[in-house]
Amino acid sequence: MDGIHDLGGKQGFGPVLVTEGDAPFAQDWERRMWALSRDGICPTMTIDWFRHGVELMVPGDYLTFSYFQKWATNFLMLMVDAGQITLKDLERGYVLEPAGPAKARTVQDILEQVRRACTDFSVPEDAPARFATGAGVRTLRHIDHPHTRLPAYARDACGTVIAHHGAHLLPDEGAQGRHLGQHLYTVAFAARELWGEAANPRDDVTLDLWESYLVPS
Amino acid sequence: MSTFDSKHAAGLHRHIHSHLPSDAALRVKTLESLAVEKGLIAPETIDAWVEAYSEHIGPMRGATVVARAWCDPAFKARLLENGTDAIREFGFEGNATGHLKAVENTDDTHNMVVCTLCSCYPFSILGMSPAWYKSAAYRARAVREPRAVLAEFGVDLPEDVAVRVWDSTAELRYLVVPQRPAGTEGWDEERLAAIVTRNSMIGTDRVLRAGAA
Repeated sequence: MDGIHDLGGKQGFGPVLVTEGDAPFAQDWERRMWALSRDGICPTMTIDWFRHGVELMVPGDYLTFSYFQKWATNFLMLMVDAGQITLKDLERGYVLEPAGPAKARTVQDILEQVRRACTDFSVPEDAPARFATGAGVRTLRHIDHPHTRLPAYARDACGTVIAHHGAHLLPDEGAQGRHLGQHLYTVAFAARELWGEAANPRDDVTLDLWESYLVPS
Repeated sequence: MSTFDSKHAAGLHRHIHSHLPSDAALRVKTLESLAVEKGLIAPETIDAWVEAYSEHIGPMRGATVVARAWCDPAFKARLLENGTDAIREFGFEGNATGHLKAVENTDDTHNMVVCTLCSCYPFSILGMSPAWYKSAAYRARAVREPRAVLAEFGVDLPEDVAVRVWDSTAELRYLVVPQRPAGTEGWDEERLAAIVTRNSMIGTDRVLRAGAA
């Protein structure tokens, strides 16, 4: 979707807060939000449905909420969507029928869990890759999936394949709960192709793009 | 079961927007309370996650990997070939590093990493990302005017050094391998790791200094 999240190249945001924004967490609740997000509290979601959920936020909130405020809001939505809690629970702030307590885990347990979370998104694919390294490609101008990883700034642009990664799960499908693999490539675009003649001729931007986003140039 | 229905989700977001206080701390508190009451997570487990990412997982891991690459050419070759396998040698694999790609700065190329669509980041080797990495300004500008952004970080990049910006649009995650500074000959890996900054591994810092350790 052409949502407010698709920020690449948008102008008017001012300087990056290099010093003030240097800490990963400013508040204790941010740490707790990060912790909650790691632990599978919404087991039926996919990573793509999570990302798509953030994209579906009220646009004004997306731009004004801090990162973890967006995550908290999105997890509340995801848990209601999955039927784990109700909107009434949210408004009340507690559930009427609590379940038994979850088993507490230690830091050592968590460190092992982190290692197991090293997820492989590649999938076997019998179809041959359409593009070889070095091939010229053009990205699509229009995307009609609700969720895509082809940003607006790199649509209808010509680039060069610099790497092929085999097939990876396609987020466009993952956001709809389906598991479908497709060839994935890293494509380099000259900065001038994306931004015009003012860009430095030496510079480029690479994106990791699935085969269905690309046609031969 | 998640519905995977975009319209339904957008409707729920609008309901939350209209009926719930927007205060961030309160929303997280609500989420935590509901998750605990539903038996999905214990409060002690949340504390354990916080400790894991405060004390054990952070940019010191990435710095350790970079220092090893500087000292051991065979390891560096393995790191550039397959970053995920290489960090397994340290037990650093995990959240968001299932497809880790290390990219090396040279005299004539500078690498910089962004995620314009969300804020993807190689958590298990760099920890949680700094707030600026997740900001709209960085996400919007890094791809369009990387040199202006680098200048804001104090990086004075010569005109003839090419900038390559890696936009993390898939599940690949990028680790920049900065150049080893002069004056560090004979240093051991621990001493070298101490001068590798987090920002240099994202690409918003370039020239590391031997005097920084």
